Amino acid sequence: MATTDGVIVRATDVARVYPTGATAVAALDGVTLEVRRGEFLAVMGPSGSGKSTLLNVLGGLERPTRGTVVVDGVDLSTMDEVALAGYRREKVGMIFQAFNLLPRYRVVENVALPLVFAGVAPEARLARARSVLDRLGMGPRADHRPSQLSGGEMQRTAIARALVTDPALLLADEPTGNLDSANGEALLVLIAELHARGQTVVLVTHDASIASRAERTVRMRDGRIVN
Amino acid sequence: MRSSDLFALAFGNYSRSRLRSTLTTLGVAIGTALVVLLIALATGAEDNVKRSIFSIGDLRLVTVQPFQPGATGLSAVPRTIGDDHVAKFKAIPHAQSVYRQYDAPLGMLLEGGEDAAIRPQGIEAGAPVDRGDLLAGRHLGPSERGVAVIPGNLARLVAASPAAALGRKVTLRLGGAVKLGATRISGSGTPRDYVVTVVGVFDEQASQTSVRIPLEDALLAGAENRGLTADALRLGTGYSGVAIESDDSQYVADVVRSVQELGFSAFSLKQVIEQIDKGFGVFRGILAGIGGVALLVAAIGIANTMVMAVLERTREIGIMKAVGASPRDIRSLFLAEAALVGAFGGIIGLALGVLGGQAIELVIRTLNPQASPAPIFIVDVPLALGAVGLALLVSLVAGFLPSRRAMRMSALSALRYE
Repeated sequence: MATTDGVIVRATDVARVYPTGATAVAALDGVTLEVRRGEFLAVMGPSGSGKSTLLNVLGGLERPTRGTVVVDGVDLSTMDEVALAGYRREKVGMIFQAFNLLPRYRVVENVALPLVFAGVAPEARLARARSVLDRLGMGPRADHRPSQLSGGEMQRTAIARALVTDPALLLADEPTGNLDSANGEALLVLIAELHARGQTVVLVTHDASIASRAERTVRMRDGRIVN
Repeated sequence: MRSSDLFALAFGNYSRSRLRSTLTTLGVAIGTALVVLLIALATGAEDNVKRSIFSIGDLRLVTVQPFQPGATGLSAVPRTIGDDHVAKFKAIPHAQSVYRQYDAPLGMLLEGGEDAAIRPQGIEAGAPVDRGDLLAGRHLGPSERGVAVIPGNLARLVAASPAAALGRKVTLRLGGAVKLGATRISGSGTPRDYVVTVVGVFDEQASQTSVRIPLEDALLAGAENRGLTADALRLGTGYSGVAIESDDSQYVADVVRSVQELGFSAFSLKQVIEQIDKGFGVFRGILAGIGGVALLVAAIGIANTMVMAVLERTREIGIMKAVGASPRDIRSLFLAEAALVGAFGGIIGLALGVLGGQAIELVIRTLNPQASPAPIFIVDVPLALGAVGLALLVSLVAGFLPSRRAMRMSALSALRYE
C-alpha cells in the first residue's frame, strides 16, 4: 500500500461496538483520521469519548467492528491474532497511564521484553535496551527494579520499552495521568524531543494544556471526531 | 521467541512461587514413584519366574514327545517316533540339529544300593541335556559305548569326590525294582547289569537320578529288557523323545508348527515364556494403572496450579501481549512451566521409586534372610525413561487447558485486570 504520500495512519469510518446486554454501546462511531509521518497528534476528549478505544485500535490491541485501519502500509482490520501480535511487536510502541512494567524484572529486562518475543539474543537485546535507557537518561537506573523507581522514572522506562523496537508509531494513553506536575512536564518535554527527532506520536489526553503541546489536536465526543 | 528464553522465563516463574511449585512437583514425584515401584515389582516377579525356567533349558529348543498333538497328560494319544520321522524333523526349515533320546528302563547304581535309583537317558553326543559346566570330566562323545555322565550325588557314592569318580567302572542294574524316594516301583522284566565307565560328573542340582549314557547303549538295554533286538525296538517302541534345536529362537514357533503338522506333540520353552510375557503384561498393566491413578491426581494438582498461575499473572500476560508476545509464545510459556513440573517431578519420582524399592527390599531381606537372592524390584532403562516421559506427558496434558486459556486471553482485558 502507498506510504509515500507521507500518511502513516489512515483510519476510515472506524467503529467499535461493545455489546452490553440488550443495547450495544458504540465506543467508536465512524471515525476517519489520518496521521502524517513524523506528526505529533493529540486526541482530546472527556472520559468515555472513545479516545482510548481509538488508540487501542491503532495499537492493535482491539479490532474495529467496522472500517479499515492502515498503519505504515499494513491493514490491521483484516489481521488475525498472530499477525496483530507481530504488528504490536514491530510497528508500534505503546505507553499507558499505569506504566505496565513487570515488577519482578530489572528495568533493563523490562525494556528488552519486546525483543524477547522478537527472538533477539540476550546480549544483543540487553545492549539495545541499555542504549535506549541511556538516551532517555535512565542509564544509571537500568539494574534497578521498577519498585525502586519514581513515577517519572517508571514512565521513562515504559517509553524506553516502547522505543526499543524502533516503532513507526508511538502511542501514549494519558502518559502523565499518574505523575505529579513536575514529572509530567519532564515527560512531555521528552515526548516533544522524540518528536523533534522524527518520531510519529499520537497522544491521548483529556487535558487541553497537554494537548496544546502537540502539533495538531483532534477532539472526540461520543465516539466521533468533532472538530 | 528463543527456546532458551522460553525456559529461562518458565524457570523464573517456576521458582517464584516456590512452595506451590514444590508441592505440585511432589505430587508428580509421588505418582511417578508409585508407577516405577509397581512396574519394577512386576518386572522383578517376571524375571524371577523366567530365571527359574531359563535354568532348565534353552530358548531355541523344541522338544518332540511321542504323542499326537493336542491332548496332553493322561488323555494324550501315544505315537511312535521312528527314524523315518526323525529324518522328517531334520528336514524342517531352521531345524539346525536333531537329537534323539531313548530312556532305558529305570534301575539303580549297584554300588549305591537300593536308594541310588537311576533314570538312564540314552542320548546323542552334543544333546542339549548334556551341556553346560560339569563338576568334573567331560560330556559324552560321538559313537562312544559303555560310558556315563552321572550326577554328583551318585559320584560321591563311589568315590571321595566327583573328580575321583572319573574313570571308575560302575554297574547300572536296569529293569529291576526301583525305590524312587519313598515309592517302590516294581521292575519291568529281568534286571540286567551293565558296567560303564564314568567320564563326567554333573551338578546334581539339575537332577539327582539322571544318568546320561550313549543312545545305542540305552536302546540295547531297553531291547534286552523286553527280549528284542535294538532295531526291533526302534521300529516298535520308537524313541522317548527328540530335541530339535532351531538356529534362532524366532523360528521356534514355526518349528513347533511343523512338528505338529507331522503329527507329534511339540513343546518349547519359548512358547511358555511368551505365555508368561502375556500374563505378566496384564499384571504389569494393572499395577501401572494403580500407579497411574496417583499420577492422575498429580495431574489435577498441576492443572489447578496452572489455573491459579494464569489468573495470578493475567496482568503480566496482558503486558507481554501488548509488547508483541504471540498467542503461541504465551501458550508455550505456561506449557513449559507445566513441563518443568513434570520433568522435575518425574526425575525425583524415579529416584524415590528406585530408593523406595531398595528400602523395601532391604526390609524384606532383613526380616526374611532366606528370601530368594534374585532382586524383587527391577528398574530397567525403558522403565526409567518411560516413567519420566509419562510424568512429562501427563504434565503437558494437565497444562494444556490452562495454557490455552492464557493464550486466548484478550490483551486489553488482561491489561485492565486488577
